[in-house]
Amino acid sequence: MSDKLSLVAMPKWGLEMSEGTISNWLVNEGAKITVNDDLVDIETSKIVNTLTASKSGTLVKILASEGDLLDVGAALGVIATADASSAEIDAFIAANTAASSAAVSVAEPTPAPVVTSQSLALSGTAAPATIKPSPSPAPAPVISGADFAIPASLAARGDDDDIAATPVARRLATEHGIALGSMTGTGRHGRISVDDLREAVIAAGGRFNLVSKASSPSSSNGNNADDSQVPATPVARRLATELGINLLDCRRTGRHQRVSKADVEVAAHQRNSAINGSASTASAVGESTSAPASSAPSPQPLSAMRQTIAKRLQDSKREAPHFRACIEVEIDRLLALRKQLNNARNDANISVNDCLIKATAMALAAVPAVNIQFDGSQITPMPHADIAVAVALEDGLITPIVSRAETKGLVEISNEMRDLATRAKIGKLKPQEFQGGSFSISNLGMFGVSQFDAIINPPQAAILAVGVGERQLRPDGDSGVRQATVMTLTLSSDHRVIDGAIAAKFLQQLKSFIDQPATMLG
Amino acid sequence: MADKFDLVVVGGGPGGYVAAIRASQLGFKTALVEREHLGGVCLNWGCIPTKALLKGAEVAHTLSTMQQWGFSADNLSFDIAKLVAHSRGAAEKLSSGIDYLLQKNNVTLYRGEAVVTGKCKLSVTTESKTLALDAMHIILATGARARQLPGLTIDGDRVWGAREAMTPTVLPERLLIIGAGAIGMEFASLYRDLGSEVTVVEALDRVLAAEDREISERAAKAFTRRGVSIETSATVANLRTVGEHVEADIDSPRGPISICADRAIVAIGVTGNIENLGLEALGVATERGFITTDPWCRTNLVGLYAIGDVAGAPWLAHKASHEAILCVERIAGETSAQPLATDQIPGCTYCRPQIASVGLTEDEATRRGIATRIGRFDLQASGKALAIQEAEGLVKTVFDADSGKLIGAHMIGPEVTEQIQGLVIAMGAELNDRQLAEMIFPHPTVSEAIHESILDSINRAIHQ
Repeated sequence: MSDKLSLVAMPKWGLEMSEGTISNWLVNEGAKITVNDDLVDIETSKIVNTLTASKSGTLVKILASEGDLLDVGAALGVIATADASSAEIDAFIAANTAASSAAVSVAEPTPAPVVTSQSLALSGTAAPATIKPSPSPAPAPVISGADFAIPASLAARGDDDDIAATPVARRLATEHGIALGSMTGTGRHGRISVDDLREAVIAAGGRFNLVSKASSPSSSNGNNADDSQVPATPVARRLATELGINLLDCRRTGRHQRVSKADVEVAAHQRNSAINGSASTASAVGESTSAPASSAPSPQPLSAMRQTIAKRLQDSKREAPHFRACIEVEIDRLLALRKQLNNARNDANISVNDCLIKATAMALAAVPAVNIQFDGSQITPMPHADIAVAVALEDGLITPIVSRAETKGLVEISNEMRDLATRAKIGKLKPQEFQGGSFSISNLGMFGVSQFDAIINPPQAAILAVGVGERQLRPDGDSGVRQATVMTLTLSSDHRVIDGAIAAKFLQQLKSFIDQPATMLG
Repeated sequence: MADKFDLVVVGGGPGGYVAAIRASQLGFKTALVEREHLGGVCLNWGCIPTKALLKGAEVAHTLSTMQQWGFSADNLSFDIAKLVAHSRGAAEKLSSGIDYLLQKNNVTLYRGEAVVTGKCKLSVTTESKTLALDAMHIILATGARARQLPGLTIDGDRVWGAREAMTPTVLPERLLIIGAGAIGMEFASLYRDLGSEVTVVEALDRVLAAEDREISERAAKAFTRRGVSIETSATVANLRTVGEHVEADIDSPRGPISICADRAIVAIGVTGNIENLGLEALGVATERGFITTDPWCRTNLVGLYAIGDVAGAPWLAHKASHEAILCVERIAGETSAQPLATDQIPGCTYCRPQIASVGLTEDEATRRGIATRIGRFDLQASGKALAIQEAEGLVKTVFDADSGKLIGAHMIGPEVTEQIQGLVIAMGAELNDRQLAEMIFPHPTVSEAIHESILDSINRAIHQ
């Protein structure tokens, strides 16, 4: 059965992801899918990303509606090969929805999503099957969208680029895997038009109904039509999804006549007022905009990112027995090397932190016992030093990863880090750019912090906390003193898997690379 | 401690302010440094105020032809101060609009001079203080200014640059314009319509040398017919002020000429504003007065970018704005960003008749070894052009003979600057001659000439 049928499940884009919101289906039920086709946009606490197909076939069923907040592993849809019978498909769906019914059902008008502790629980492994069944397995609503069934005789077999077709027809053909070569174009210049496509599909016994996709039947009060074309700010669109407001029900007072956040809040307030009767009961949504705010600051709920940070670090601190080891390093030679490189290379602006990434990567290569991931039961040695570097954001932090850092030169690391940090600031990192990693570095030196402890970023087993480089007088010989720039590095390790001696060995190795920076270039 | 930004833009012209707004929209913490006027030359001393003046010239021209429409009037008077005031008003209104846009988009504005002091470091001097800024990315959009040559120095009194030329207090009776590029020809058109006697001197062998040769010839003919003297392949050997006048000795193919005029306008091109930015000390590569950049507007210095006029030709506001977007989006990792398609940048000259073009000239296509098919349509056969008495013009289309792809379009005639965009879209969408021929153009319009020109390229023209 598994050859014929495969489940489209809520992906786990990295360790921090425990759930995701269906943002936008990019294909309709019945669509022909090939491997790597874009299926659905999913929003996590950090990013919006597109889930692609891992199998080819037909998307026979969509099980999750836009706006649904679902746990990792939850069933989103089913892809079937042509030889799968409808009975097999039904059985498969039944089996999988029962297994992954931890899905937070969003079949009713949703208030702001309440994140339950259950849905945030980090599963030890990425396997979707470990998710517990929930007592109320409400099947996710099914989108009744456009209806396509493309007969095998018309299935796309390869490159149709040289066949003349209108842009719309070509897009539909690509989306649904229809071979353009098999039909006659009656449009201008003999181009294949949408009508030609429809005729050919129907003639071959398929279905071709271009119905605009209906939105999930969640908004009981208000418009149900597709609002994807309504101009709206991204914030407004997201809020509308969260609150179950159709953008068609909103005024458009924003710039360029877009629906603004305030417009969505007003619409939500109006809906809530309507639901609650007449009196304007204190609606949590309306409060922030319509009611004149009292001068006292009101408690703020945590943002999704803060919730994630809170949860993950709480877990780490509770689960992993941290122990710390400090070492002082003199960085004058490292600074000299950096200066020399920066003076010689116009195309690089290497920071001390970039140098530390390189030195750490080399130390991890030398002491692989620290370069691991640990899920609570198993140690996974990591083949490369994939170093996560904490980048502060306006309202939180993210740890983009310099992958295979031990194989890269300083200029490459520096420029890669600049690009990662740039995109981190605007939330444009791809999941693979901030997920995983074998080790973390957190640097507060630029704020003048002399030393601090950091909390391990699971499933990594250690993190390095970097303080400021300070000029100090140090004993030199028997009676003399000399100046040196000294920095304190603090390694936090998970004692379940890293012993003191290993941590010490790693720090020693790191210190030696920093003391003799030429050696890390080898 | 230095103020930290993700991105700092130096210069608030159509490159700089667009870059700052786009960066802020994408989520970058953004600052913009402007030393003079928001909107840059374009808005304050270029595109916009000259269009306001040229509208006045158009009114003058219309009044001069009123009798053929059955009107007559006595005691018409003209107050040049009012026209200039209108032009300045338009510029000021727009400039304050940009201030508003920057505020609205949360761009921090510093009014002062910026110097790049190191990689990702700037120093900004405002009226009251000097402050240090750190920026992961710095975009230079400092623009360009009128080029001057030894012996051709703008004194602002009798020898004008563009600024003085667009704020005259009296109308010069005799005007010498040095340089027959877009700027020179627009001023020639303006002052001729207002009543000046105009002589244009051009070192190259034709006016508007960047345009297709046939368009240049048409323009020269139209200007000559309007009473503008044109000296091509001619250089100014000596320009001096004598009393209230300027005198110029010109070396022309027909021997030395001496010209006496009340004012001279120097319009011999522009040079990039690359000085006092700290570029030399940092080893930033420049070439002939402009900053050298790659297709993503990156300089050779990490984190430093240059867009618009300061990064070289073509010196057009829309090229600057386009580079602003692509540069910022590339920094943000937007996969949709594309390098500038240099063969698809339209250019417009707002003289009478107007001139607009995009893509390759016929000569340039030939130079690149492309076999061409040319379409032409003369506005003499355009009903609308005849009806509005502006039938002087030509639409020339250049197609790749093998693929039928539109590779160039060149227009001279009424309001062609508003029509060229149709061909820009056609080119961007890679439409070929047969597809374009199938399009329906509305009648009666001047733009029908575009259709006829396309039809002509495949020998299917109807009206000629």
